[in-house]
Amino acid sequence: MKEFLIGKLSMEALPHEWFTIGGSAFFGSLVIFLIILLTVTKRWGWLWKEWLTSVDPKKIGIMYFIVAGFMLIARGGLEALMMWLQQALGSSDMPGFLGATHGYLSAEHFQQIFTAHGNIMVFFVAMGFIFGLINYIVPLQIGARDLASPFLNTLGFWLFVAGVVMVNMFFFVGGEYAATGWLAVAPLSGAEFSPGTGMDYLIWSLQISGIGTTLGAINFIMTILRMRAPGMTLWKMPAFTWSSLCSMIMAVTVFPLLTATLFLIFFDRYFDTHFFTTTLGGNAMMYTNLIWMWGHPEVYILVLPAYGLFTEIVSTFSRKRIANYTSNIIGMIGVSLFALSVWLHHFFTMGAGADINAFFGVMTMFIAIPTTVLVFTWIATMRGGRIRFTTPMLWFLGFIAVFTFGGVTGVMLAIPPADFQFHNSLFLVAHFHSNVIGGVLFGVFAGISYWFPKMAGFRLNERIGRYAFWCWMIGFSLSFIPMYIVGLMGATRRLDTYDAASGWQPFYVLMLIGGIVIAVGVALQLVQIIASVIQKRRLHDATGDPWEGRSLEWSVSSPAPSYNFATIPKVTTRDAYWEMKQQGMPARTYEDIRMPKNTASGIYISFFAFLVGFGLVWHINWLAIVSLIGVIGCVIVRTFNDDTEYTITAAEVEKMEEARVAKAKALHAEKDTGPDEDMGLIEFVKIAITWALNVIRTRQWRNR
Amino acid sequence: MSKLPDNTPTQPKAEHGTLASYVIGFILSLVFTAIPYYLVVTKTVTGNALLATILTFAVLQMAVQIFFFLHLGRGPKPLYNVAFFVSTVGIILVVVLGSIFIMDHLNYNIMMAPKATTTKLAQDEGIAQVGGEKTGACADIGTNHQVIVQNGQMKPLRVEAHLCDSLTFINQDAATLTIMFGSYAKPENYGGEIGVSVRSGRTKTITLNQLGTHAFHDHLHPGATSYFTVTKNNGVY
Amino acid sequence: MAESVVTGELNHEAEVNDRVMFGFWVYLMTDLLMFAVLFAVYAVLHGNTVGGPTGSELFSQPQALAETLILLTSSFTCGIGMIAARRGNKNQVLAWFTLTFLLGVAFLSLELLEFGELIHEGYTLSSNAFLSSFSVLVGTHGLHIISGLFWMFVTLLYILVRGLNRQLVRKLALLSLFWHFLDIVWIFIFTIVYLMAYV
Repeated sequence: MKEFLIGKLSMEALPHEWFTIGGSAFFGSLVIFLIILLTVTKRWGWLWKEWLTSVDPKKIGIMYFIVAGFMLIARGGLEALMMWLQQALGSSDMPGFLGATHGYLSAEHFQQIFTAHGNIMVFFVAMGFIFGLINYIVPLQIGARDLASPFLNTLGFWLFVAGVVMVNMFFFVGGEYAATGWLAVAPLSGAEFSPGTGMDYLIWSLQISGIGTTLGAINFIMTILRMRAPGMTLWKMPAFTWSSLCSMIMAVTVFPLLTATLFLIFFDRYFDTHFFTTTLGGNAMMYTNLIWMWGHPEVYILVLPAYGLFTEIVSTFSRKRIANYTSNIIGMIGVSLFALSVWLHHFFTMGAGADINAFFGVMTMFIAIPTTVLVFTWIATMRGGRIRFTTPMLWFLGFIAVFTFGGVTGVMLAIPPADFQFHNSLFLVAHFHSNVIGGVLFGVFAGISYWFPKMAGFRLNERIGRYAFWCWMIGFSLSFIPMYIVGLMGATRRLDTYDAASGWQPFYVLMLIGGIVIAVGVALQLVQIIASVIQKRRLHDATGDPWEGRSLEWSVSSPAPSYNFATIPKVTTRDAYWEMKQQGMPARTYEDIRMPKNTASGIYISFFAFLVGFGLVWHINWLAIVSLIGVIGCVIVRTFNDDTEYTITAAEVEKMEEARVAKAKALHAEKDTGPDEDMGLIEFVKIAITWALNVIRTRQWRNR
Repeated sequence: MSKLPDNTPTQPKAEHGTLASYVIGFILSLVFTAIPYYLVVTKTVTGNALLATILTFAVLQMAVQIFFFLHLGRGPKPLYNVAFFVSTVGIILVVVLGSIFIMDHLNYNIMMAPKATTTKLAQDEGIAQVGGEKTGACADIGTNHQVIVQNGQMKPLRVEAHLCDSLTFINQDAATLTIMFGSYAKPENYGGEIGVSVRSGRTKTITLNQLGTHAFHDHLHPGATSYFTVTKNNGVY
Repeated sequence: MAESVVTGELNHEAEVNDRVMFGFWVYLMTDLLMFAVLFAVYAVLHGNTVGGPTGSELFSQPQALAETLILLTSSFTCGIGMIAARRGNKNQVLAWFTLTFLLGVAFLSLELLEFGELIHEGYTLSSNAFLSSFSVLVGTHGLHIISGLFWMFVTLLYILVRGLNRQLVRKLALLSLFWHFLDIVWIFIFTIVYLMAYV
């Protein structure tokens, strides 16, 4: 009876290790703090109406940023530091603490950490930031008011959140995460070798958020292909929109493969099927094959939007049009096409033989070609331009340095016989981190600093931004250049301890120092945001176009009104806004605007979806079935709800626009004296200490 | 909610079907189902030809239904739907055929002990020597000998061949043939393989790169054991 | 004024309609890709019977043909139902879609009978890789059929109670897309699983 009611749950599932107690205490107190804060400030209604149930892609974008940023710092980044620390202490001549033979993390724990680090960084940090950027910027760039399906948008976001909760759930119930590596290769991930619930948490967190991603990708494709402003043909779209389209078409192509493969490994574990087992006919290598069919295009899905936004950043800060738009776009399309034909390079050593390895090796090397075309168009754009070294441009230059390293080491890895040496060494780890950090993460940072004025209404503090950038560059070099070297010396990945005689420890110590410098960089980024808020009047963006941009998002106010455009612009050329600035802004005509209503159905469906996953993790079958019915019920209620829109009349729009202009005039903005006069670190520290002392003295956290 | 009469058409006529299109589609689909079924049940065609035929009919029926039932290619802006469909078909081919291609090679290569694997790989790629050491692989193939299996009988029962000739097993039976080297009581290895599996109507060829007299038998019908003898070519090896 | 509001409504509806149909088409492509994985797995693992019976020994060709013909007919009746829907004829819609529903139930029953027999003889999805891949491929299609039937049931109920309107015609259009697509997937299951077992 107990088994029927609560499945495999038991007292042992509750936290009893130092990290589960620590983790659940941290998250628990965070949640409690937020609840108290919201109750005391009476902001529950505001939170629900303005943010949680919002279908505005701008709000959803910001929420993606917050969740992704939180996961970057509280989980992914922390896990990286934990791993570096363990590896620095993991030499065989070092003592062991907390159950470890050397260092402080036991082998089992270390395995769970690198698994979680990979899952969280790829699925919840990188995908979260990318989706946030696309949500916010693409509708503005194409002259649309919203995405094609606002409901799918909020549903996709909340499924993403359900995945985030699921991946953190083991702290509270379960005590272990998967120890299989981030892709959970079979048969290690099967029921025989990973009998605990950790692997099931991995499956369901990825599955639920993966379905959210697929729905989101469909939504973005519908939007870009069907909702562009009149006159904007495909070849007049901004580069970021193009890259988002390519990325989302790839997403819609390969995420179903992930969904199916996760279902298959789930069936192996739950229903005792034999897809990837070692006995009764299963073939574990098929799992590796299928998962990498998804896995490789996934990294291109992440990096393509970065390519697109770098194109825009280079163009804006070189004060020139993109040198060769067509080549640039063809480069992006080329990367997307090739990305789907190279997946075997992740398992050259699995034994397919020389013919197959040769084919995939050559195809992998081919991808360097369209990527190089992209780099050349960027260089050509910079040539002859008057370059401004703002923070976004700095991130771009950092990207070129780091990503190129990743790219050329990638070509080295693409050679099958060479890969037999590099495979699963730290050389490989350094390669893909160069690409993911240098490409995706620097891209995200560049994009956020570039579009921050549009999103917040004031630009970011440049001085502290520069410090943060240099911390990242120095930290990255300290972390990953030694990693390349020690990888070539023979260090394999995922090692928690190693022989002292190997001489690797100094390298690991260097990597740890680099990691700490990166952590300082992240802290500086947070300081940057706070400092910008403090100085927001001075950094205020009055025109909506702080960088002299070329695309439509700069034609609206900062931040944009809820309906994006009072009048949908008519587009005649590429760089539509630049053209508008030359020809004169179009006359304002107001029309009725249909806006989608807020909806909580995304939250409800995701809540039930989470419960389905949770039920299946713990074999609480009745919970899974009931929650599935809940999901279906909510979907039916939503699809049969015809009252999902409201209209803002033309008169109301006119009034809102006039109010906005008046408010902007009335704002006593200080003069922006340029980036070099922005608040520096010392000044910030002084302000922070003064504020803290003030709070203690007056018991008030803000002057009213 | 709309206040328009219920029967106001929602789309221009071209996009959705007429009775004629559904009827034609239905009849064509019936035909394209019946023909492959008939061919398989009566076994008028067999082997690879049958495989190709029924797959072709499946694709044809899919095309019929895509056009006549789903009306792909008609209606406003059909290009996107067509483009998505075509690219999806392409990816499906990559997924399915790619997997078969890769997994087949993987399976093939893991079936044997390491030394036998090396021998086999050397044989496959015709590498006769490595660093002065002969691998035993054959650089050129000599004459081809054939063993035909029909009604459970193997003909001829004894094959005399030279080194680096080839031996082809032809399965003219209805069931899949499993040839194992050695006798039923004492299975052996030959050239790195424990045996060959030959589907009905197909053939498999092995290279005779080991000297001596070797037995082989039909593992599912252990009756007579057959032999092939491999002798040296005069002067070459 | 009223007229331009009405044409405005119509335009907006047509736009939304077009978007929804396109989006659903893209979704169907993703569903096809999921099936592609299941087909790939079946292609790779169908030979791994570990000494157990192969497909040719387990499947019944006439039953498979019957299932195919029933599903094909239901796809046809679904199409006729859509013609009636576009003409706004509520009774015909109910008739033809109920027929589609019944044919779908017949298809499902035959399939459940087949699985029931296999389980009864001791061949379950955990017997070996061949049976796992067969069961999951055919079973996933079956689950899609069940979802389609459920969707049909809810929609028909709604039409019965509230009558036909344009939103419902659109929902029927999506449903019929889904139903036709399921028949197309079945063509390949029939060919690759049931027919190829005998080649």
